[in-house]
Amino acid sequence: MNQFSYSESDAFSVEGKLALPYQYFAGTLGSEFLVSLRDRRKLLGRRCSRCKKVFVPPRSHCEHHLDAPCDEWIELPGTGTVRGFTVVRYAEPYQPCPPPYILALVALDGADSSLVHLLKGLAPSEVRVGLEVKAVYAKDPQPTILAIDHFAPAGKPRQELGYSYEELELGMTASFTKTITETDVYLFAGISGDFNPLHMNEEYAKTTAFGTRIAHGALPQSLIAPVLGMKLPGLGTLAVEVQCAFKAPTFFGDTITAKATVEEKQAEHKRVKLRCDFTNQHGQLVATGWAVVLPPRKG
Amino acid sequence: MEHRRNRNVGIIGTGQTVHSSHREDVNQPELIREAVAAALADAGLAVEDLDCVVHGNMELFEMVHQPDCWHVLGTGAFGKECLRVTTGGTTGATLACAADNLCASGLHEVVLAVGFEKLQEGHTTGGITNMADPLWGRQLQTGALTGIAAQELIDEFGAERARRVAMKYRILMDQNAMRNRHAHRRFGLTMDQLDELASGSPPLVGELRMIDMCSQSDGACAVIFASEDKIAELGAKAAWVHDHLTVHREETFTLWGGQREVGTMRYAAERLFRRNDLKDPLAELDVFEMYDPSSWWGVEWLREFLLLEGDRHLRLVEEDQLTPEGLLPLNPSGGVIASNPIGATALIRVAEAAAQIRRTAGDHQLRREVKKALASGFGGTLWTVLMLLGSEPPGRR
Repeated sequence: MNQFSYSESDAFSVEGKLALPYQYFAGTLGSEFLVSLRDRRKLLGRRCSRCKKVFVPPRSHCEHHLDAPCDEWIELPGTGTVRGFTVVRYAEPYQPCPPPYILALVALDGADSSLVHLLKGLAPSEVRVGLEVKAVYAKDPQPTILAIDHFAPAGKPRQELGYSYEELELGMTASFTKTITETDVYLFAGISGDFNPLHMNEEYAKTTAFGTRIAHGALPQSLIAPVLGMKLPGLGTLAVEVQCAFKAPTFFGDTITAKATVEEKQAEHKRVKLRCDFTNQHGQLVATGWAVVLPPRKG
Repeated sequence: MEHRRNRNVGIIGTGQTVHSSHREDVNQPELIREAVAAALADAGLAVEDLDCVVHGNMELFEMVHQPDCWHVLGTGAFGKECLRVTTGGTTGATLACAADNLCASGLHEVVLAVGFEKLQEGHTTGGITNMADPLWGRQLQTGALTGIAAQELIDEFGAERARRVAMKYRILMDQNAMRNRHAHRRFGLTMDQLDELASGSPPLVGELRMIDMCSQSDGACAVIFASEDKIAELGAKAAWVHDHLTVHREETFTLWGGQREVGTMRYAAERLFRRNDLKDPLAELDVFEMYDPSSWWGVEWLREFLLLEGDRHLRLVEEDQLTPEGLLPLNPSGGVIASNPIGATALIRVAEAAAQIRRTAGDHQLRREVKKALASGFGGTLWTVLMLLGSEPPGRR
């Protein structure tokens, strides 16, 4: 007789998925707040008639004084002070931007309440409680709190240097995207002296495995330079070593994204190793490799 | 199994929003505050006088996790004990039971029960069917949207009579709702529209038509329960809690194939009436606020709740015995068909029953003296809560 044994059999897990559409109403009070943000780029608070506390977002009654309405609009300057913060370092599809990013609790000037929002324009290691910040409004503001795109450090603009060794963190990413045109390929041939008919002569190229002209392998690869030198780590960076393996051809008109990800911090020489991935508009990997760079020194 | 109470408890204040299909002008705590402020004003109390808040709505219908915390801005629960109750459609009735228990036990003197729903927000099917596999008891739910009751009534009494009774019931509820300023759907229907509605209203499921069905409402209800000591201290006019009873069951309609399920309604009513010495509910009750999700279920459940036999429930409708002037006034508020902010709905039954006893019902106040009132709650697949209220405190059992 066949004995069924739980210990020797699999237990099934049933996969399923439900879509959950929803909507909610901000109410008339909340709507005024959102419309002001969207149309006037003005942050409004609402003051309790009893305890005089100012709330952002506005509320009709504070939890202590249900019998006394919050009945006065207060226009706020959109500046504030970081009261607390956290740095998100894991990735999942619903996040507002790629990690690491900073979420700061901003005590708004002129209000008694604080607002949680994205803080950009500085490295995670630079955030401090007490940092003065200002709202940066979205270019195309929607009637949500994201009409404020993010908060950024207030005061004088920071020195134009990229991230230092100390500021760089594993997992930080940056990218640059460009469409490779016929003109790019001809200019690159002039720069490099590589007039190989595979790049220059369509009739010849038809006889090759690719069936048409392709870009020089080093052309898409060169797109990592603006990433490393101008974004991550950024200005002041010296490239020490760049390695690349080509995986697929780049045809004229392809749009290539070069992406760098901090993979390793080398303490001995304060160098950083970044993984470099090159993908086309179909998400296909055209090249992959790595770079070791010397980030700018600060202080 | 009897309930033992350490002391008597009465309802001393009720408040409701005007129920509506859409309340874009307020967010959830703002909506709730309207009902709470009305209940406090009715009771002549301030927020500080509340010892405890029992909060309830349908789980996840507005997609808000722990709504009771956010809603402190409307409930007045700041710094107080606040309990969250969510038992599906019966939530509002369970809120009343819990508030009564908290006072009757001696734990608190004054307890606020508050139920709400903003059905225009969120996604109800997502709330009740968040993981579906009927094979393993994770049911796909449609709420009260079912044609079973209609088919059973038709099978038993014939299509023409059953349809006429159901539609007459529906029109009676609308006529009641017309006198209730809080009611959501007030159409002004008249009995001469009966045939037109019974054949012309858009069909939903089986015999169930749009006009038969309860609404989806935004609204809130607040009810203040107080101990007999507090009631004496305040000199308040109270609707006294005589008893309440909950009957739960498994979540299925179809376990035994096409065979009729044993309902919890009659089972609950028999037990409640027995232990409160009600021998003839039709004669002894002065008003019944029934949770009627559709006109068909409304008709069918009359037989169950009032322990009727044969076609007596149909005759009650046909002979106009459920009108405000009839033998047993049913839902002077217009009932659930008129207003259905689900987490508040069953609490509204209790609030309306209490208002009739306290004579605070306004334009739909019954002319007769209301000494005994029954309120029912219905949830999901036919579980039941009943609450019996009286104008005098019950004798200690």
